[in-house]
Amino acid sequence: MSAPLTARQAVLLVARRELVTQVRSRSFVIGLVITLVLFGGVFLITGYISSQASSKTLGVTAQAAQLRPALEESARAQDIELTIREIDAGTGRAQVADGELDALLTGEPGGYQLLGLDTVDSDLQAVVTSAIQQQTLTMALAGTGVDQAQLAARSQLAVDTLEPVDPDAGQKLAIALVGTFLLFFSVSTYGGLVASGVVEEKQSRIVELLLATIKPRHLLAGKIIGLGAAGLLQLVILSAIGTVGALAAGLLTVPGATVGMFAMVIVWYLLGFFLYAALYAAVGSTVSRQEELGTVLAPMILLLIIPLVPTLNLLPNDPRNELAAVMSFVPFFSQVVMPARYALGVASLGEVLISALIAVIAIVVVVRLAGRVYQNSVLRTGARVTLREALRT
Amino acid sequence: MLARLDGMLDVGGISKRFGKLQALDDVTFSVHPGEVFGFVGGNGAGKTTTMRIVLGVLSADAGEVRWKGSPVDSDLRRRIGYMPEERGLYPKMKVGEQLRYLARLHGLGSAEANAAVRHWTDALGIAARVGDEVQKLSLGNQQRVQLCAALGHDPEVLVLDEPFSGLDPTAVEVMSSVLRDKANGGVPVIFSSHQLELVERLCDRIGIIAAGRMVAVGTVDELRERDTASVVDVHGPAVGWADGVSGIEVIGGDGGAHTRIRMATGTDDQDVLRAALAAGPVHEFRRWHPPLTELYHDVVNSGPAAGVEVPA
Repeated sequence: MSAPLTARQAVLLVARRELVTQVRSRSFVIGLVITLVLFGGVFLITGYISSQASSKTLGVTAQAAQLRPALEESARAQDIELTIREIDAGTGRAQVADGELDALLTGEPGGYQLLGLDTVDSDLQAVVTSAIQQQTLTMALAGTGVDQAQLAARSQLAVDTLEPVDPDAGQKLAIALVGTFLLFFSVSTYGGLVASGVVEEKQSRIVELLLATIKPRHLLAGKIIGLGAAGLLQLVILSAIGTVGALAAGLLTVPGATVGMFAMVIVWYLLGFFLYAALYAAVGSTVSRQEELGTVLAPMILLLIIPLVPTLNLLPNDPRNELAAVMSFVPFFSQVVMPARYALGVASLGEVLISALIAVIAIVVVVRLAGRVYQNSVLRTGARVTLREALRT
Repeated sequence: MLARLDGMLDVGGISKRFGKLQALDDVTFSVHPGEVFGFVGGNGAGKTTTMRIVLGVLSADAGEVRWKGSPVDSDLRRRIGYMPEERGLYPKMKVGEQLRYLARLHGLGSAEANAAVRHWTDALGIAARVGDEVQKLSLGNQQRVQLCAALGHDPEVLVLDEPFSGLDPTAVEVMSSVLRDKANGGVPVIFSSHQLELVERLCDRIGIIAAGRMVAVGTVDELRERDTASVVDVHGPAVGWADGVSGIEVIGGDGGAHTRIRMATGTDDQDVLRAALAAGPVHEFRRWHPPLTELYHDVVNSGPAAGVEVPA
């Protein structure tokens, strides 16, 4: 004879179904493979671009060739790999058109011209400009008796920092960015799955059958926990492969920071996931069909993208950016911004804990509201349930 | 008006409003142990809403559902077998897994759930399909799975919303015999249907709902008594024999040897018979037994105001 389920049993039964169904689904494996391929691709492309970026080929006519030493000097100073090819103007133009040359320098002192295809490469322009200025200066000084070596010595700028320069800053940035992407990817994917799972149950009406035997909040909790666990499993697999792979391949030489970020990503995934999953479930429960889901999820995607902006645009050049610092404490944003700031070494563990605590408080509030919306909406099919109707007690 | 509730499952005066729509208005009926109760009514009449309230999937604004005299709580609801109107199953989940999952949610242990799934898939002829995804089954077979889902936890009450819609004749037979068996085992069975002949054949009692109100509840015979007791079919005398006979009204016939008449209150049927015999030999003189279809139309068209009293 059957015995009534306890709340825990009900939640666990639902969670287990969600986890098993998700892990066995083709999309789980495909998602894993695609993410790995994407990350591998991004690494390869980034490597390719950085190997390409600094190498330029400049054609110079015989007349302009006297600028050659100054050009070479200027390129060295600006850390740009420059190949200079002496060429006549006609062939040079043709080679610029073919793309064999990045630009062609013609003319003589007082009237140089730099010719590009449809645009002149800004690095190249900077190198040439600085070379011409140098040449002009040298020529102007020649008659005045100023000692050029002395002038150069007096124009030195010494650069120093209060704290020692972090030799691993580049690696930390890479770790932060990878972590950011992983978090964004996991929270949006598995949050989205919660929403579509809610709609699937609503659309197939199985929710009626389920709610005749268990309480709505147990169904919702089980769904979120089950899918959250599936997302966690995927994230752990991805992070572990990434961490071990990068350390083994020698891409990363900072095991401490890497493992620390690994832990951060897991913790912040959980914080971000529960916050967004509750919201996704609430939003999903207001529509009746998968086709309507896209419309109501659009604002959610936007909300998820907002914290990426400071993380990807501000932090790489300015780790102590104030906007990013503020956002790293704001729920819905903190799950992406805070781990990145931590990885860059600008947020202390204490700050991380405070931000996590704020996120937990936000989760409690959001889960309550979302649970109410869900209970009020999940059995109502037809027109979209308005937020006002859904929130009434 | 709360009738004395003594059935096994008593729905007492439930009302439900959705915004401006009064979906249910004081709906009352009882279903007794071992009884198959047919719930009929047009689209939007309130059948599904009533069933959802019985299941606790919706809450009523007023009234209550009682079982063996006490209010239905979540523990009993768990022991109701329910088949929702629009079939509810995970399309991509395998039949066996799905049924096991639902049985577990109803509180069965793992082994019990397995045994129940084996038993019912066998009984309903879908044992061969337990490893298939639900969406790969025909609609009729999906419906059998749905019935398995309702029966898997050995429910004490069965509430089935349109269990026969879309079934082929064989499946209708299988479904009917399962419902009959459950009722014979002492389980009250409520089901809704648009197939009135089926309801008439299968049900012990019938409730007709229109515009959110119960307009008639009773056995088919009780419903017939209601306003057709005075309708008589007469075969024999040529048409016209009834003209001029006081206290009767011709309401049908074939214009030849068959006449259907309604007798006014207080008219003696023996007087009418004598009048008919006077016009020619009478081969048949009998009370008309309208099919449920006609009763239904009469009841629904005459509106709630003409509703019969709910049997005490």
